[in-house]
Amino acid sequence: MNEQLRAISELDRVIHEPGRLMIVALLWAVKECDFLYLLHETQMNKGNLSSHLARLEEAGYVEIEKTYRGKVPMTLLRLTRAGRRAFEEYRKGLKAAF
Amino acid sequence: MGRHKRYDNIDGTGEMGMGIMFLGFALLNYLQAVLPKDSTWRHGFANMLLFFGGVLLMLGLILWISRAIKKHITWPRTGYVAFRRGGKYYWKAIVVASIGGAGSVCLLVLAMRHDAMSLAEAVYLAMLVGAYAIFIYRFSREHPWKWLVLLFMVLGLFAMTLIFPGKMVESWQPAMFFVGLTWLVSGVATLYLYLRHTQPPTPEAE
Repeated sequence: MNEQLRAISELDRVIHEPGRLMIVALLWAVKECDFLYLLHETQMNKGNLSSHLARLEEAGYVEIEKTYRGKVPMTLLRLTRAGRRAFEEYRKGLKAAF
Repeated sequence: MGRHKRYDNIDGTGEMGMGIMFLGFALLNYLQAVLPKDSTWRHGFANMLLFFGGVLLMLGLILWISRAIKKHITWPRTGYVAFRRGGKYYWKAIVVASIGGAGSVCLLVLAMRHDAMSLAEAVYLAMLVGAYAIFIYRFSREHPWKWLVLLFMVLGLFAMTLIFPGKMVESWQPAMFFVGLTWLVSGVATLYLYLRHTQPPTPEAE
């Protein structure tokens, strides 16, 4: 198998899914954000976004914190160090593949 | 991945901040011009205190307005974001802004000392217009009407150079006031459009 094909086969499948890729790319660019921001930016529905976030949390890429802004509940999201590293590796992998 | 930069000005706070800054500088300049010649506020430490006190007040006002709009309007409607500090993009922006700011001050001083220096005047006015053009291109591309505001700004500044030909000192104050007001109105219009097109979501489980 040549180098480029190997790079494609080694891409992180958790991040590679388009919905999750959007989420990780958005989170990579910021320190933290809330659920509403991701909902607004990705234009996904709440169910889809929640399930993608659960998958990313399970992989250890995203940290989810339930908190309050005043009396309003707020879900804060941020990439973990592992998530940041995985996304940078993913970008490198894509560049190497193409 | 640069969307978050545009999101920061989704409510027009960036433009309003710039507008307040320009208006503040115009006001400080006006204050210095109307103070009596023998006033202690025109000389030495008191003059510096007036200037830096004014700048601090202005920055405080910008931060307070921006924070209040974000907290009570933007975050409940389209979400909260905390931006990353540090990294090469952040430092690049700081270096560019510092060079731009220092360049503007140097040009202004040069133009004031050599009255009727039309080249410096033209470059200075071009920088004022350029700042708005860069801002629209980088942070507000979804509002094409802002290019018309830019055209209005260019025509307004051009008219001022005709009213005060070659007189940098006389034209600087109204130019700053005009540019500041344009930025502020553009920011308020952005906020108005944002309010019209967004609604706070109904509370549900996330």
